[in-house]
Formats: sequence, structure tokens, C-alpha cells
Amino acid sequence: MAGGSVSECKEYLFKVLVIGELGVGKTSIIKRYVHQLFSQHYRATIGVDFALKVINWDSKTLVRLQLWDIAGQERFGNMTRVYYKEAVGAFVVFDVTRGSTFEAVSKWKHDLDSKVKLANGNPIPSVLLANKCDQKKESSNNTALMDNFCKETGFLGWFETSAKDNINVDEAARFLVENILANDKGLPYEESNGDRIKLDQDTVAAEIKSGCC
Amino acid sequence: MEGTTEEEHKEKLLWNVKREVKQIMEEAVTKKFVHEDSSHIIALCTAIEACLGHLLKRRAAGFLRSDKIAALFNKVGKVYDIAGEVCRKVQEQLQQQADLTRRTQSVGHEPLRRQGSSITSRPPQPLSAQAIKHIWVRTALFEKVLDKIVQYIVDNSSKYYEREALMHDSVFGPILAALLVGPCALEYTKLKTSDHFWTDPSANELVQRHRIHGAHRGQDTTAGRRPALGIRKRQSSGSMSEDRFAASAREYVESLHQNSRTHLLYGKNNVLVQPKKDMEVLRGYLSLHQAGDNLTLKWTPNQLINGTLGDCDLEKSIYWDYALTVPLRQIVCIHCHQRPDCGGTLVLVSQDGIQRPPLHFPPGGHLLAFLSCLETGLLPRGQLEPPLWSQKGKGKVFPKLRKRSSTARLIDQDRNSDEQIAADYVFRIVYPGYRYDAITINYHHTTGSRAPSLDDDEEEEDRLHAMISMICSRNLTDPNVMKDHGEMMEMQGFGGSPSSWQQAEVTTHESLCLSCSTAGSNVSFDYPAGCTCIHDPSDIHTIPLKMLCQNMKRQIVSRAFYGWLAYCRHLSTVRTHLSALVNHNIVPPDKPCEASGGLSKEVWSKYQKDCKNYKELELLRLVYYGGVQHDIRKEVWPFLLGHYKFGMGKKDMSQIDAKISERYQQVMREWKACEVIVKQREKEMHSAIFAKLSSGSSIDSHVLRLVHRDSTLSNEVFMSVDEPDAGSQETPSGEDSTPTMTTLVPPAALPQEERSLVEFDSPDSGLPSSRNYSVTSAHSQILSSIDDGQSTEEEGGCGEEARTPSALGGCQDSLTEDRLCSQLDKLVTNGAATEGMSPSLSSYTIELLDTVALNLHRIDKDVQRCDRNYYYFTTANLEKLRNIMCSYVWEHLEMGYVQGMCDLLAPLMVILDDESLAYSCFTQLMKRMSQNFPNGGAMDTHFANMRSLIQILDSELFELMQQNGDYTHFYFCYRWFLLDFKRELLYEDVFAVWEVIWVAPRISSQHFVLFLALALVTVYREIIMDNNMDFTDIIKFFNEMAERHDVQHILKIARELVHKVQSLMDNK
Repeated sequence: MAGGSVSECKEYLFKVLVIGELGVGKTSIIKRYVHQLFSQHYRATIGVDFALKVINWDSKTLVRLQLWDIAGQERFGNMTRVYYKEAVGAFVVFDVTRGSTFEAVSKWKHDLDSKVKLANGNPIPSVLLANKCDQKKESSNNTALMDNFCKETGFLGWFETSAKDNINVDEAARFLVENILANDKGLPYEESNGDRIKLDQDTVAAEIKSGCC
Repeated sequence: MEGTTEEEHKEKLLWNVKREVKQIMEEAVTKKFVHEDSSHIIALCTAIEACLGHLLKRRAAGFLRSDKIAALFNKVGKVYDIAGEVCRKVQEQLQQQADLTRRTQSVGHEPLRRQGSSITSRPPQPLSAQAIKHIWVRTALFEKVLDKIVQYIVDNSSKYYEREALMHDSVFGPILAALLVGPCALEYTKLKTSDHFWTDPSANELVQRHRIHGAHRGQDTTAGRRPALGIRKRQSSGSMSEDRFAASAREYVESLHQNSRTHLLYGKNNVLVQPKKDMEVLRGYLSLHQAGDNLTLKWTPNQLINGTLGDCDLEKSIYWDYALTVPLRQIVCIHCHQRPDCGGTLVLVSQDGIQRPPLHFPPGGHLLAFLSCLETGLLPRGQLEPPLWSQKGKGKVFPKLRKRSSTARLIDQDRNSDEQIAADYVFRIVYPGYRYDAITINYHHTTGSRAPSLDDDEEEEDRLHAMISMICSRNLTDPNVMKDHGEMMEMQGFGGSPSSWQQAEVTTHESLCLSCSTAGSNVSFDYPAGCTCIHDPSDIHTIPLKMLCQNMKRQIVSRAFYGWLAYCRHLSTVRTHLSALVNHNIVPPDKPCEASGGLSKEVWSKYQKDCKNYKELELLRLVYYGGVQHDIRKEVWPFLLGHYKFGMGKKDMSQIDAKISERYQQVMREWKACEVIVKQREKEMHSAIFAKLSSGSSIDSHVLRLVHRDSTLSNEVFMSVDEPDAGSQETPSGEDSTPTMTTLVPPAALPQEERSLVEFDSPDSGLPSSRNYSVTSAHSQILSSIDDGQSTEEEGGCGEEARTPSALGGCQDSLTEDRLCSQLDKLVTNGAATEGMSPSLSSYTIELLDTVALNLHRIDKDVQRCDRNYYYFTTANLEKLRNIMCSYVWEHLEMGYVQGMCDLLAPLMVILDDESLAYSCFTQLMKRMSQNFPNGGAMDTHFANMRSLIQILDSELFELMQQNGDYTHFYFCYRWFLLDFKRELLYEDVFAVWEVIWVAPRISSQHFVLFLALALVTVYREIIMDNNMDFTDIIKFFNEMAERHDVQHILKIARELVHKVQSLMDNK
């Protein structure tokens, strides 16, 4: 078949968790990211909700993010273990206007790291989101300290986000996906295959088909 | 030899195109459009290119060109205008792409395109590598000219192709062109719609797809499904009934016509079917379709076809339930009954013995015409057994089988109809070469071997046939069942083990004919007297048939017996597992009167007039089977929930109301007093922070402290908190500011360090973050309003009013105006009673204050966002909701507020619309529901019960769940049980379901929620099975299906399920 030089489009499906205390805006961030919407009227999440975001990462890569919006109070339940299963990335969200939610960040992170790991045993890449930054009166100079906090707690990095004003949501997601992809590529192919949840059936089928002629 | 493989290869190429065309058409039907980026398009292009590239002449392919397709298109384009136009468009696009790449390279690599922005930035859009690879075919497809171009190439194939090429083939070439007509008629879009997850079908789409062609797939699985302990599958299982929302009814009807996917082999209108026993006979359109190797028989009631219903009605029409879709693969035999006066009747029997409703053909040879079409359609793989006979001048005729009747009563019929065409036939559909065909059992039911029978007899007989064929085919085709029976038989040392059974069969060289005349006998197996064995004249064998028949009979009977034995054993398992789940006495829906009308206003007023003599159970029965009329829900619910007792007089009722109201007021006073202190305390903390902030101990120290604490994650954490505190106190400016604050806010007079020490010494309340509360509230200010604090400080001893809003803003992010006002009011009263503050502070333990603060905060968070889209929840009503919730939580602080409680209270509020009444009813409701929350153990019990129920009632589904990552933990039902399905349903439906749940313990089952859950699973069972769902899929599916269920249908199924389990228990 002609055009063998054009490399096949790779499709990835990544399961990404969004966790954090109740009312920090997890659902809002997801809705903003996936549907470009914001509403004051999202209901409290019970159990778990889903959203899927398709990203044309580059000309050869299509990434589908399966975002798991886990209820804020679920940390106390034992279901998080099941929810976390096979996740390859996570956002931990807190509310900059409520310090208690920041307190909980490390608890969530701990919960996460104790329940899910990458195939190679490393903790899954996670990014800290300081949400509702639109309600913050002035950006403070605590960048260095937050960086330090992330380093100590094992976050890849942190973003000040606002689902309401659409600040940094896409950027944070891109940052996380970059890291997930790097993880994925860093491993030998077979192994990385395991990290990916499902290779898209259609791609596989298309490849096989093109091989037959 | 080479010829055949070449032929096969061509066939395969064409087959690939067919399949992809089918996929595209399906997508078009379910989504109304096909997205240009759909992976199906790429797949289709690949398949088409494979055909186009097959044995393309080197000259046409271009000697040097690597892209054969491009060369071909260019060549064709020179002589064919339409193709020329496509070539021009492709060149244009390629040019754009080149420009685009150059531009992006100069701008910098920007791989992440936002979905949203891609709508606004119109063309040119970068094409994916795949799209470029297939740009020629793809463009021609989008321009809707691909079929024409292919047709042109086919017409002129000798110019471009070798002699053996697919395109040159006189059959394959035109077929390919014809196949592409369909896809070229579709709309393709670049637009990203709200559901642009085109690679991941939504729940809606799954339901639609299931509905369109799942009807036969549904029956497919039903056919292959293990029967669940005598719980017979409803006729409409997984068919059209449950998903009336789907908007594809029109497409279904259109699919009945000839189209590119399927060939219509036969069509006949006004074929009569009686879908249900007690229903009128319906007229409908019978059609036979061929898609690939599959034949499908459809019967669609006229009501759905003739356009008398609007689109909307059409989708909702009850007639969907009656439409038949039968894949002939499943059908093992066809019974035909002919009557000269009234046409013919045809009954299809599938492998598992399930009979489809009889199809009545109008007189005039239509039955025969149908059979002959069917026979042709079955070719080359399948055939009718016995085949139809061809007769000169007449075409196909019914085979003339000589009957040999051994029963005396047939003699006179024989006499007067010696050469008469037989009236009743049983045709088998056989697929020579298929495994189970090595063993055949023929039930040629010839002739009028029965007296002009009553319909009942006929049915009886068909049923018997069905049963026998079921027993046989099951043993032959389903290895599991065979194994089961086999084991059991061997264990029992019974003669008829499957192997000997098969041997016996094989020796008859697949021609054993068995005709059973069973007029009058019932479905039990003791019919030797009525059973006659005939064999075809052509198959005379030396083996004594009588012996074989005896043998068979014995085996059939033994199978039936062991089947029954297994059933009994299973029943005892069921009994031990499930007996606790249902009440053993069955309360019928129709005695003493029909209850499906529910509890009407009329009945209720009768009760109210004579409440002493009215039977409570009777009222509950009405509610269980028919719900409560909406107008009287407000009056009835307090009874159902146990706020009032049935039979109470007016006086007693008002007494109770008064008592509850008093209690409610009391509780309100209590927690409101506490709330004041909690707020006061929070304010102090903020003040303290301001002080510290102004003191110059910058944000850094606080964050450092957090970093320190979070990194250690141990109990020492709380010790370390003090260090920075102390540190900040030491700074001179800190000392300056603290006194300022103390003078402003008297309670803060308590030394800062002391208070925090007290706090941290307090024992762990068990609530994970309660003990940090005071500290945490402090941090909020660090992160949010540092400047506030500073500016306040700069202004010097600013008034309380100045700080109040900002302090409040810190803890209550989206306050509504009303709430803000009420908060201010409280603070004002608080300020007025400042002197009284210190004693009242001491009356609560610090621990309690922490707990209350935490819970109030959670309640506020959830109340603010409780069903805001529902009209009832205005700010004023949310305030009431908050009051009730706080009161309840105040009384149950050990449990505290858990997310979901608001959801449970909200519907009660909507109906009762009275604070203290709702409070009382909520308290009653929570007696049961609180067990589902993390502190109670009911949730795990529910999961375990679901596990048992599904395992026993639907082992096939259970296995699927186990295989796909084992989600038999049933966590996907969590929200259902936690909220009594409140989030799964619309408000109106929640009311209906809740009533039934509440009365069910007295009527049928204490665990009615389990059966509701089971009903939900059952309704979508086929979709779950067909899509091979794993945990993620199923939880996603049900999340997406939320508020879209047909609640009456689900309630009905749930009640039926309870009843079935009850009957199993009853069946001792």
C-alpha cells in the first residue's frame, strides 16, 4: 500500500482523576475544560461522574482524556480504590478561598499514592490546582513556596485556576497530558501499552487492514 | 487453485467495503450526521482504496508515483469531469495544508488545539495524517461523487485494470459502485457538536443503536441465554419498549425498504399477528431482508408504517413493543398450517424453543411465496428441509410427503384426501456444514394428521415441538448445558449419556423422522400413545426405528427429569439466599380490587371520613401498585413515612404536629446559638490572622508551615503548628497588632497560643479534618485575602462592619443576598450580646464547635447547589432546607452531614412544603437511609444482596461482570442506593418511586430498592451484554441515562421481579 512512510495516527485513552475536598470546584473545572461552560448550579457529585475530552495533540497523536470526577466526600469511603484503578494521571483540586481544602490536599495525595501506581511502581503523575483564583484579591508571591510544597508532596506542578473565568484550565490539562505521554513514551513499547487502558480499536483495525493489501 | 484464492481475495476486499459502509450508515442513523473525522471514514477509505488498487495497471498507477490512487484519480480526471473537479479540490487542500504547515512552523509548535476555538477558526484546518493519506477517496466521498467516479472507472475498467482485477470483474465492480451510493448520500460535517466524542458512543447512542438493530440482537441473546430458574424472560426483553426516547423510529421504518445495506427479499402487507394473547390481531408489513449472510425477518405493525402517527408519537408508540425482528439464524424450524379458506399460518421456532407469534398470511398462496423467497434467501449456506418442490408451470409447491398414519382416527381423513396437499408442515432450516447439523432430528409434521384442530391444540402442539427442539438443540449446541446434563446423567448411571445419544443419532444418518401427534396430550412427556414415527420414503434404514424412538423418548424424559432435578436443587439455593429479601405472603394487585389506579383523592377522602375502619394494608396496596395521586401526596406522605399513624384522629394528628413543631423550634434555637459562636470564632481566627499578617510574619511562614505539616503527615503535625505561631508572636510588630485586635473583639482576649493549645489537645473527634478546623479557617485568609488584612490594618482600628463582609466572604464563597443579610443580622445580635459571649463559649467544648463548624460548612456548600434548576429551590426555600438539615445534623452530630442528605430532603420539601413537617418526615426517612451512609453498614449489604440476586437470576450477566474486570462489587449502584434513586430520576418520578419503596416493606419486600436496581439492570441488560461493558462503561452509561428512564416500566419490572422471587419461595 502506498504511503507507508506516513506514520499511523496514535490514539490514546487516559484515565485521569479529579479529586479534592467537597465544593472546591472539581465538576466546574471539568465542565469548563470539556464543555467550555460554567454554571453556579452544578449539583454535588455523588459517587463519580465522567467526562471525556478529545485532544488533537499533534498531527500523529489523538488523546482522549477520560476524566473521573470523584465526589469530595468519597475519600472516607472505600470505593476510591476502585475508582482510582488504572488511572494514569490526577488533578488534586483545592479552593484558594478555603484553607481547609488546602489542608486536605496532602491527604488526598496520600490516599491516591497509596491506592494507585503506574505499572513501573511510580506514583501516577498529578498536578495541583489552586481553583477559584478569580476570587482571590491579589496574586501573592507564594510561588516559590507552592513550588516547594509540590516538590515535597510529589506533585509535578501547580496551577492557579478559575473554572469561572477560564484561567489556566487548558494549560494545566496540557501540562498533565505532556507528562502522561512522556511517561508513556519513556517506557518500552510493550510496557507502555499496559499503561494505556485501551488502544483504540479502530486504529488497530485500520492498521491491520492496510497490512492486508 | 490460484483462481479460487484470487476470487476469495476479491470477495474479501469487497466484504471489507461492505462492512465499513454498514458502519457509516449506522453512524449516520444514530447521529443524524457523520463527522468528517470519524474513524469509520478512514476505515472506509482504506477499504475502498484496497479495491481500487487491486491489480491496477502499472500504466494507470504511474510508474514512478508512490501513490497509486492519486495517479488513478488524475488519469480519470483528465477524461471525466467529475473526477477532474475532485482532483482540483484535492490539490487545493494539499496546497492549504502546505501553507498551514509552513505557518505553524514559523509561529512555533502549537500542537494542542482547543476544541472550542476550532469552531471559530474556520478553514483551513490542519488535516490529520490519516486524512491526508486518504485525501483522494475522502474528498470524493465528501463531495458525494465517489460512487459516480467508481462507476465510471468500472465502466472503463479495461483501460486501467488487469483482466483479473476486482474493478474489471463484471459482478464485483458494479457492486462496489452500488455500495458507495449510500455513503455518498450522507451529510458529512466538520462541526463539533456537543457530543463530539465520536469515538465513544454515548448512552443515548447505545440505546438508539440497540433499538435499531438490537431488537434481533436482543432476541439473539435471549435465545442463547440460560433460563433463570423458571423466571422466564418477558417477550419484549430488550426490545423496543424501554427506550422510547430514541429518535430513530423513522429510520427503523425506512430500514424496511430496500437500501444499500440490506436487500429486501420479500415484502407482504396485511400479514396478521396477534402479539399477545388477549390482544386484538394486528395487521402489519412482513418483510425479509438480507444483509450479508444474514437473513432477518421483520414484521412491523401498520400503525408504525403508514404515517398516521407523527414523528413524536411514532417513537413513543406502544406498537414498537409488538414489532418483530427475527434473525433467521436462530430459527430451527418453521411450522406451517394451511387452511384453504383463510390463508396460511406460519410459526417460527428458535433454537431455544421460543416460538414467535404466529404470522397469518392472507389467502392466495402468499405463504408459499414467502417460503420460496426464504428458501432462495437461505442459499447457498442454508436450506429448507424438506425442500420445496418445483413443479412445472406452477413454480415452487409444497413438498408432497406421503403420510403413513398408524392411528385409526386418521383413516377417514386419509381416505378422502389421498393426494390432497398436506395442510401442515414443519420445515427445518439447516445449514449443511455446521456442527450441529451432523446430528439431525426431523420433525416432519405432515398432513392433516390431526382433526381440524382447535387453535388450542395447534398451539399446544407447536409448544411441544418447540420444547423438543429446544431440548435437542440445546444439548447439541450449548456445551455448558450439555455438560451439566451429561454429568448428571453419568452420575446417575442413566443409560442415555450424551455420547450414546449422539451415536444413536449418527447411525440413523441424519434422517430420523419423528412425527408426534399429540392432540390432547399436555406438555408433559408421557405421550407414547400419541407418538408415531414416520420416516421419509427415501430414507429407509435397517435399524428398527421403533427401538430408536423408544430410546429417544427415554432420553427426552430423562433429560426433562434431570432438568427438573437441577431446577429443584437450584431452588433450594435460591431459597436460602433470597428468602430474607422478600415477604412470603403475596399481596395480589387485583384483590380485593384492581390497585393499578393507585391511591386516588376519592379513596383518600373516604379513608379520612372513616379512618378507624379503613384497612391500612389496603391503602398501602393501592400505593404499591399504583402510587399516590399527586394532589394528595402532601397529606399522604406523612402517613407513609410514619409521621402520623394510620387510623389517627384529627386531634391526635394536630397534637403530634404541635409536639414536632415545638421540638423543631427547640432544636433550631440550640444549633443557631451554637452557630453564632462558631461564626464568632471563625471571625476571631481571621482577626488573629490579620494581626499576624500585619505583624510582618509574611505569607511565607504560613506556607512553610503548611509545607512542613503536610510533608510529615503525622500527629506531630499538630505540634509543629505552634512553632510558627510562637514565632510570629515574637516579632515586635506582631505584639503591636495583637492587642489592637483584642480590644476590638472581646472574645479574642483569650491568649492566642493558649487557645490553639487547648484545641490541639482535644481528642480526635474522628472527623478527619475537624481538629484542624480553627487553623484551617485561618489559612483561608492567607490564600485569599491577604491584602484585605493588610489594608484593614493600615486603616488602623477599623470598625467591625468594615471587616465583617470580608471575613464572611472568606468562608462563604457564593453567598446569596438573603443569606448575607441573615448572617449580618446574626452578627449584629452577636455584637449586641458580646458580653455574654465568653460564658457561652465555655458551654460548648472546642471539639463540638469544630464539628459544628465543619458540618455547617458542608451543609452550606451542598444547600447552595441543591437542585437549583428545579423551580422550587428559590433562595427562601433553600434557607428552609438549610434549617432542616442543620437541625437534623445537630441531633446527629456523631454521624454528621454526609453528601447526599440534601438530595434526600429536597423531594420531601417539595411535596410537604412545611419546615417542621419536612423535618419530622426527613427524620423518619433517615432512620432507614442513614444506614446507607458510611457509618451504617447497609450499603455493603445491598451490594452483597445484588450480587446474590444477579448471580442467581442472571448468571450470564454475572459472568460478564466478572470477566470485565470483575465489578460484582456493584459499586455502580452506589448512588442508586444512597439516594433511593433520587439522582437517577426526574422529580415527578422520584415521588412515584419513593412511595412504592416506602410501602413495599408491608406489601412485598423490605428490600424493594434491590429489585428496582435489578429492574434497571434488566431493562438495559442487552445493551450491557452487547457492548460488553466493563465497570467504567456501565457506571458511565447509567450516569448518562440518569433522569431518562421510563419509571413506570421500571417499577413494573421491579414489582414483577419481587413477585417472581416470591413465587420461587412459594413453590415448595
